[in-house]
Amino acid sequence: MTIVLPLAISWVGAVALALVDGRRPAAGWAAVAVLAASFVATAVLAGLVLADGPRQMVAGGWAPGVGIVLRADALGVLFALVSSGALLVALVHQVLDGVASRAFGALVLFLATGLNGLFITGDVFNFYVFFELSMLASYILSCYGDKARQLSAGFIFAVVNLLGSFLFLLAVAAIYHVTGTLEMEAVAQRIAEVEANAVILVAIAFFVAFGIKLGLFPFHFWLPTVYVSSTPAVAAILSGAVANIGSYGLLRFGAGILPVELELGATVLLVLGTASIVYGAVQALSRRTAPEVLAYSAIGQAGYVLIAIGIGGPVGYGAAVVYAIANAISKTLLFVSTEIRGPLVAAAFAIGAFSVAGLPPTAGFFGKLELFRAGVDEQSVALVALVFVGGALSFVYMLQLYQHDFWTGEGRHAASAGGRQAASAGGESRLALRLVSFFVACLVVALGLWPQPLLAAGQEAARALGAMPA
Amino acid sequence: MTLLFALAVGVIFGSGAYLLLKPDLFRITLGIVLIANAANLALVTSGRERGASPISATAGEAVSDPVVQALAITAIVIGFAVTALLLSLAYRIYVSARTVDLDELSSAEALRAEEEDSRELSV
Repeated sequence: MTIVLPLAISWVGAVALALVDGRRPAAGWAAVAVLAASFVATAVLAGLVLADGPRQMVAGGWAPGVGIVLRADALGVLFALVSSGALLVALVHQVLDGVASRAFGALVLFLATGLNGLFITGDVFNFYVFFELSMLASYILSCYGDKARQLSAGFIFAVVNLLGSFLFLLAVAAIYHVTGTLEMEAVAQRIAEVEANAVILVAIAFFVAFGIKLGLFPFHFWLPTVYVSSTPAVAAILSGAVANIGSYGLLRFGAGILPVELELGATVLLVLGTASIVYGAVQALSRRTAPEVLAYSAIGQAGYVLIAIGIGGPVGYGAAVVYAIANAISKTLLFVSTEIRGPLVAAAFAIGAFSVAGLPPTAGFFGKLELFRAGVDEQSVALVALVFVGGALSFVYMLQLYQHDFWTGEGRHAASAGGRQAASAGGESRLALRLVSFFVACLVVALGLWPQPLLAAGQEAARALGAMPA
Repeated sequence: MTLLFALAVGVIFGSGAYLLLKPDLFRITLGIVLIANAANLALVTSGRERGASPISATAGEAVSDPVVQALAITAIVIGFAVTALLLSLAYRIYVSARTVDLDELSSAEALRAEEEDSRELSV
């Protein structure tokens, strides 16, 4: 029962809230309460799974192999927890700031439902259904604001990602055709006996589908437009929660189901990851506004995750999980802080910047450290150098941004002219908004000072992947 | 038979991809519709066995694979929702920008950005 609870809470809440006017503060706070309940349920589930191993249930009481399997293992619950957390922060931020659209709260809850579902499902097609549910919600969310710019960015976002979704669906059809099952564990067992050519095609389709979600280098073209035109809370949702689908999908489908093909493609992964890192960093260096820099930075950070997956093995997968999680938290922090000003926010933003650059004591430091360790284990000088240079470049562009936005007058002025939040109290945002950012910043520092839970959970997640039969 | 289906999927997907490259919101939407249906057709084709429909089959008769049909109907519903969303988005863009041409949209946007820049400079 605990396994469906996070899903059920947000689902019921989403349907109920879709019927009321989300612009009223009461409805907004109701959405926050539902999401918080779902977050707590996810945290309880995560605690249980991390303590006593994976939990499984078959929907509708069918026999295993007939009904849809829901399976919560360390990898899934970890991503579910981080994504719900990011959604919660973004939603609280938006509700404090005032919701301008009727459906915002309900959409965030639908997104939470989709994400919770796809992270704990053990069925390939069911994954597609939840995936589409969360993507539909995020297409609509990316249009939040209703300006022509946001609408056309939302349209591009939807079209490009739909292409990825249907490629994924084609790959699911192919998986069913060659293995005769949709259950992830059974697929992983049977795929070894299937003709290699067919499996490689399936693996490529999965890779492209998740590469588009994650915004990896050759599939990144939609990402900057969408991140730049959306409002801070929506950008935080996209980069802190929705992008997790890409990392999780690559880990689950690549490392969990198709490990042999993943190893075959390791070189491609490393090359594309390197290209992402370099491209993202160089583009971010040449931009001046916060959303643009952060958008290109997101492309670069996706490259690190890809490289960790390319290195493979328990160390590589563990590094990928830790990196993806640390990055999701720091991106959420940075995006919610971009348009607010005043005491505490500058500190919060600086902490986020440090975390992206990988400086201690922040969560991002341990993401980079794990990558270093994976590179050293692999005995690859190029990899270690790349992580170092990438980190140095991100330090430069984040600090440049910090300087422009928080130190010099023009950045402050632009913010108070652009963000309606900042305009209210003489350039200073409301205390509650600032406290939200500051709270996330404290979390980033706490994870940097006491990283043991994060690292242990990452290892546990990597073990969960290894536990799937090759 | 499978080859025929595979060819059909390929042609439909290809036509959809061609439409996606057009700078017109409605053609792009149609492209997505075609690609969605290519995926649906591929789902139906991926069935493991062929025969009578699973509901009316008698004992001993070959039964067609019911799983792919369940998958296809789910995918059709999702495709329908997605099409509705894309069309409503295209309509909203038309209402606010009075055009469905992507080139015109982006040039209008560049113009707006330039105006904003010059305003900022004059302040």
